[in-house]
Amino acid sequence: MATVRKRFGATDGWVVMPDSTRHYIFGFVDITGVPEDRIFEYRGRATLLAPLLQVYEGDEVYLTLTNLGFPNRPDLDDTHTIHWHGFPNQIPIWDGVPEASISVPVGRDFTYYYRPLDPGTYIYHCHFEPVEHIQMGMVGPLTVRPRLEIDLGGKFAYNDESTAFDREALVFLTELDAEPHYLLENVQEFDWTEYSPEYWLINGRSYPDTVRPAADPSLPMQPYSSLIEAYEGEKVLLRFVNLGYQQHSIQVLGISLKVVGLDARQLRGYNGEDLSRWRNAIFIAAGQTVDAIFTAPSAGIYPLYNRNWHKNTNAGKSFGGMITEIRVLPAP
Amino acid sequence: MPVINLWAKEGYLSTPDGNSIYFWGFAKEETGPALLPGPHIIAKQGETVTVNLFNTLSEPVSVFFPGQTAVMVEERPVQPQYINGRLKSFVNHAEPGGTVSYTFTPTHPGTFVYESGSSPHKQVPMGLYGALVVRPADYNPDVREYRTAYGAGTDTEFEREYLLITGEIDPQLHQAVEEGRPYLVNRYLPRYWTLNGRCAVDTMMMDDVDYLPHQPYGSMVMGQPGEKILMRYIGAGVDNHPLHPHGAHTRVIGKDGRLLRNGGTDLSYQRFTVLVGAGQTYDLIYRWEGLGFTPDNPIPTTLPNLRNMGIGDAGWTMWSGSPYFGVKGDIPVGVISYNEFGEYYFMLHSHEELQITNWGEFPGGMMTWIAIYPSLSPDIGVLK
Ligand SMILES: [Cu+2]
Ligand SMILES: [Cu+2]
Repeated sequence: MATVRKRFGATDGWVVMPDSTRHYIFGFVDITGVPEDRIFEYRGRATLLAPLLQVYEGDEVYLTLTNLGFPNRPDLDDTHTIHWHGFPNQIPIWDGVPEASISVPVGRDFTYYYRPLDPGTYIYHCHFEPVEHIQMGMVGPLTVRPRLEIDLGGKFAYNDESTAFDREALVFLTELDAEPHYLLENVQEFDWTEYSPEYWLINGRSYPDTVRPAADPSLPMQPYSSLIEAYEGEKVLLRFVNLGYQQHSIQVLGISLKVVGLDARQLRGYNGEDLSRWRNAIFIAAGQTVDAIFTAPSAGIYPLYNRNWHKNTNAGKSFGGMITEIRVLPAP
Repeated sequence: MPVINLWAKEGYLSTPDGNSIYFWGFAKEETGPALLPGPHIIAKQGETVTVNLFNTLSEPVSVFFPGQTAVMVEERPVQPQYINGRLKSFVNHAEPGGTVSYTFTPTHPGTFVYESGSSPHKQVPMGLYGALVVRPADYNPDVREYRTAYGAGTDTEFEREYLLITGEIDPQLHQAVEEGRPYLVNRYLPRYWTLNGRCAVDTMMMDDVDYLPHQPYGSMVMGQPGEKILMRYIGAGVDNHPLHPHGAHTRVIGKDGRLLRNGGTDLSYQRFTVLVGAGQTYDLIYRWEGLGFTPDNPIPTTLPNLRNMGIGDAGWTMWSGSPYFGVKGDIPVGVISYNEFGEYYFMLHSHEELQITNWGEFPGGMMTWIAIYPSLSPDIGVLK
């Protein structure tokens, strides 16, 4: 198995919503391989979502967190951590809970170590004052790929040939309440019990930005698209993640989803029984992940949306929010 | 035959930010304080239980037992109560100053809630709820194969067990009830979130601390590496809460007081976040194995000079100062460490993160720890 070395910087930045509003965020930025004398150029360049962390089961992962500070709030010297959410058998020093080990002050580094033994869809996030830092954007996707992919070639969600797929897409759900972002930008306090988001995001963007391409120049800090494209008959794995503070119910119009994994565990009974199930709505709570596979039907556009209809808006205006599209193309 | 006496009473709760909140709870005895949650009822499958309710509040109060069948009052099945043709209680109630006595025989083991069935939209959030644990008929705590959640042979043995009951507090509701003012429950807006009636950091305090006379139950989960720790979640509030323990997946073995098994098919499953819905219960086994790092088998990353790291930002830490299990290191001067023997702490909390605040201030709310100790007295993690 491979040794993976990554380095993420913690810093701040800005995101935009389709109604042209700008919002201050905290987040991570990939600085793997950046020479030491150039890492300061990445200050203020946090992305939403944070960089994808993708490893294989059995890899040895060394993830260095560097606190680059907040150039937009130089007075704010918060420390940060990385918590691998759902990692079994962690020890506290790498679990990223500052109240149970350490956190990283401005200008310092710390290297976390992981040896993932189980494939699946996970999450990472900062655990320092998590109510603030998660909402502010310190959240990222994390995939552990199964050994079976190395042994057999091809793509699998789990170590089971029944979980084979041709393409995969991330559906990472968060919310944005503009008020705490505004208050933090302006050195003020927010009462978190008043939390009331008005933007609902997939992969860090709100519709219609969700269907723009990846690395769209108009969305420099929101590099992830959630436009899902596939050819007829292909198997597509959707990796759902909820790291908002609300429960969500996601549907795809015209496509049923077969849930094959929940919380990074394949749906198998203790005696190997197939417990996967068909769903027309993915109901997902904060902190959960769901792996679902579908076979692309005949060519067309299939909307993916939140069945809590008010979450299909941007600051009250529709359509917006948690909507994206699955575009199925005729087989080549 | 166990007889449980519950006195419905008023009292004042404490929150860690210094608030004192009027509430209604069940007391164990006439002169005892109202408790949040009410006293645990521990019953045995097949053994009849009698619950006597004495109502000292100014309106009718009752107790109902979701998941139990054939609950009787005066040898007749409990019945909804109507006043002038309008539903007043889901079951027979005690008038102010009055009593009512319920009997039932649990037919199967598991974790259940008991709560007031009279104006429950008000009385349950006010605090009139508690836990009912039913032991399997063959339960024997002294013999491992019979110290189980669901009976010998069900693969539900455990070394230690804990109850974690979720709730919410909207201080406006409590104040309105105290002052006899109307309150629209559809405006319910919790400012505090509780585990076993306490908000963090009080959740971390021991049972029966004298400065929390109305909140006797702590929520610290303690065990040793490799042990099967049974956690019984109960959703006693109005909202659903995604509980997420760090350190290991939990294996869900029972739900709503039923073993997750269909004949020979084991339907238990592992999760890192379990959404505890209002009125639901879950039985889960948490097991932490450890990675075996010791000073002789050192961790493969460098522990930086601790002066360069953030430690105990809130003035306290659960950390030992060492990455190694059972080893105590140095904690900077001025930081209080609650670590005793180099044990490991894993946070357990609601992942609706705003719920780990007390009226918006982190840390607080629905948050506690799972502590894995090098060794622990067998008396710890015993439900009483
Ligand atoms: Cu942070
Ligand atoms: Cu956590």
